[in-house]
Amino acid sequence: MRINWNELQEKSFYQATARERANGIVDDGTFKEFLGPRDKMVSPHLIILGEAVEYDDGMTAGVGKIGKHPVFVISQEGKFVGGALGEVNGAKMSYTLKLAIDCYDAMKEKYGKVPDDRKPIVVVSYDSGGVRLHEANAGLVAHSECMECMWKLQNKVPNISIIGSSLGAYGAQGFVCLSADVVLANDYGRIGLTGPDVIQQEVGKDEFDASDRALIWRTMGARSKYILGDVNFLLKDSIKEFRDKIVAMSDLPMSEISKYRHLGSEELVEENLNVVKIAGREKINDSKDLWKYYGNENVDELPELPQEEFLKVVKRRPRGL
Amino acid sequence: MEDVNFVKNIFYSPRKSKRTIDEKIEKAMKGWDKNGIDTEKRMNEAKKFTKTGSKVVQPEDCISLLETVIRSGDNVTIEGDNQKQADFLAMCLTKVDPAKINNLHMVQSCLALPEHLEVFKKGIASEVDFCYSGPVATDLADMVMEGKIKIGAIHTYVELFSRMYLDLQPKICLVAAAAADKYGNLYTGFNTEETPALIEAAKFRKGIVIVQVNEIVDKVPRVDVPGDWVDFVIPTEDPYYIEPLFTRDPALITESQIFIGMLSLVGIYSKYKINTLNHGIGFNTAAIELLLPTFGEEMGFKGKICTHWALNPHPTMIPAIESGWVETMMPFGSEVGMENYIMSKPDIFPIGPDGTMRSNRVMGQLAGHYAIDAFFGSTLQIDQYGNSAAATAGRIPGFGGAPNMACNAPGRKHPSEGWLKASREDGMRKDLIGPIDRGRKLVIQMVETFGEGMAPVFVEKLDAFDLQKQANFPIPPIMIYADNITHIVTEEGIAYVHKCKTLKERMDAIKAVSGYTPLGLTADDSKTQKLRKEGVVALPEDLNLSFNEAKRSKLAAKSMADLVKWSDGLYQAPTRFRNW
Repeated sequence: MRINWNELQEKSFYQATARERANGIVDDGTFKEFLGPRDKMVSPHLIILGEAVEYDDGMTAGVGKIGKHPVFVISQEGKFVGGALGEVNGAKMSYTLKLAIDCYDAMKEKYGKVPDDRKPIVVVSYDSGGVRLHEANAGLVAHSECMECMWKLQNKVPNISIIGSSLGAYGAQGFVCLSADVVLANDYGRIGLTGPDVIQQEVGKDEFDASDRALIWRTMGARSKYILGDVNFLLKDSIKEFRDKIVAMSDLPMSEISKYRHLGSEELVEENLNVVKIAGREKINDSKDLWKYYGNENVDELPELPQEEFLKVVKRRPRGL
Repeated sequence: MEDVNFVKNIFYSPRKSKRTIDEKIEKAMKGWDKNGIDTEKRMNEAKKFTKTGSKVVQPEDCISLLETVIRSGDNVTIEGDNQKQADFLAMCLTKVDPAKINNLHMVQSCLALPEHLEVFKKGIASEVDFCYSGPVATDLADMVMEGKIKIGAIHTYVELFSRMYLDLQPKICLVAAAAADKYGNLYTGFNTEETPALIEAAKFRKGIVIVQVNEIVDKVPRVDVPGDWVDFVIPTEDPYYIEPLFTRDPALITESQIFIGMLSLVGIYSKYKINTLNHGIGFNTAAIELLLPTFGEEMGFKGKICTHWALNPHPTMIPAIESGWVETMMPFGSEVGMENYIMSKPDIFPIGPDGTMRSNRVMGQLAGHYAIDAFFGSTLQIDQYGNSAAATAGRIPGFGGAPNMACNAPGRKHPSEGWLKASREDGMRKDLIGPIDRGRKLVIQMVETFGEGMAPVFVEKLDAFDLQKQANFPIPPIMIYADNITHIVTEEGIAYVHKCKTLKERMDAIKAVSGYTPLGLTADDSKTQKLRKEGVVALPEDLNLSFNEAKRSKLAAKSMADLVKWSDGLYQAPTRFRNW
């Protein structure tokens, strides 16, 4: 299918397919896909189970350019088996990350240093429930490989997570996405370890009603994560908005980009533990209590406001506390 | 002076008139008021549950109240349709002692809650006459096979309501209202639906009316049901349950559904100038509603079609209303979250003197039968003749209201352009009644050739026949019979089946739009070409449309958040539909 890049820019990120997102994030016509649908690399496990397969195994991975930066893009497709990671799409993800590291190392070896305006960048667009249960062990191995790569990327290659598709980032993908340097999201984004239905099943409907989607979003949704600091930038829902943000950050020195991190040092672990302590001490029963704690008064209105107004009035958790 | 007495007699309230009843009439009543005397006896026993001058019963007394006023073998109606549920009363009814009360005959429009089946499992009730059972379709089928429940008949809505006034009169009526005062005056508000019809059926046959209410107030906003038609009101802790049944999230509309919508707008709505209509539940019709302000306007259809709707006020209509397409809507019920938006549009919705809407399921269904030119719906299976059904083996979902609307109204006399055109095109009319203009309602089935789980929609034989055998029904549970259908629209094209002169020809027309289903693969290309020439089948190219034009960008709203924006924040999306 031909992709019109200019039309893509205006398209809702939330409604775009994985391939559209991947193509739209990088410069027009620069995206080269690894193991695309024409290669027909499908999951061998799903075939044994008699399940439907897709020729890209639910993932678009490849490399494109933003200016002079090589940009390694991984884009998950939630419409295929919940975007979950199995053997093939997992390998596509970890090998693309590996290529970014190799690219950095090769540039460094050849030129002595990697200039800020040419350094490689990793962008992952998440849309996944975590591990694909049909091939659980392979999926878990893929996750650990990705995590290993993400630690190697640290302080070398900017690693940007986008949480803007219908499934968000759940299960193991929940912590993989937060291992990045920067997390971008639109209002529809969600991040969590355990999905709402599983929580309800384990602790009961009175504790967590999985059919109450307002509750889900104020607990796991982008606005709440923005207040808490897990999401660094809350953006409008178009591919262009996300691309523009990445373009604007692309030339920043690595030391600046690393400042947005949530994990990866002892101080950051302390910072995260502190939030847990506050939640216990202040008897937080609902995200709204936490929003209030960080200085927000109109907590009932916050989810309802148009995004511009939300960004104007919201008070966020101060970093480093 | 004689005139004054005459007027007085007419306006005497029922209670007063009983006291002052003519001695001669009273004598003659002996033996003819068994029902009334029986009810009086029960009501005397139930006096302990209320204080003098009040009809309020405490919720904790509800089970004993039911055990006091209900007798084994009674006809009982409990309110519960596909939207509103008297859920507290349904729960209480499962808790009465089956040793005391059993063999009830339930007459209810919907079997929707687990409690509705529970009364049969416990032996409190034994027989049921109903319309719709979608939410419990599988359990119900199991219970029928096990002989735990006897089905009198499966009806359509107005069919059952009208039988409640004739041969299925309820002795006990259990319903729900938004508010009541202590005299029993009810405010049923937006979701008035069928409450007054059920109460009237029971009360005017000396039945006993028990109402669960969300709150007791000093003065109701308006009286939807007068207090002397009501015997007991019970305030409940939680408001009664309402299902946002008609709400469809625009984010889930597919391009194939958009294409079917475009074909229908060009090939049917505009060709027949459809102004009065009903839309069934589904994503196909939601797509059309969202195409009106965009594609519809581009095509120049605005003002010429889709002005009067027999339809629930669901949110995908908001963009069309805001763009000035809609003149009036007649709702069967309300839709959760739409209340504030409805109140802001009194020209369009039936709004009472208090400023809130009153829906009416009976009149809505009648409008859907007599007053509309076209019904647009969807179904799970269509057979080679054009009969359609939602029932499959192992599931008894019932009918609901669709067959009341998805059928010709042979009694209709008022003409309209589309109604006359459809009848003039009718290939079999002349052979049945001669060359007479009689008119015909358009009944359109819009389906994708493959449905959920890639099951073919077009089949040789409906699963409904298997179910008929399993459950030993006297007639197969067919939703809409082939002779009522005028058009079938799929992503392959439109079959104008009413134009066919023979059943054989109709079968060929259906095959021509059945795509790659096993039935569609038997289509004969030369016959399809002939039908195209005759205008019995129209493929997309015959309507100058192509699938490439069917883009989601054509939808006036692409998400629930867009609908909220269109309503200027007045629409409050139910929490299950939110993604913010």
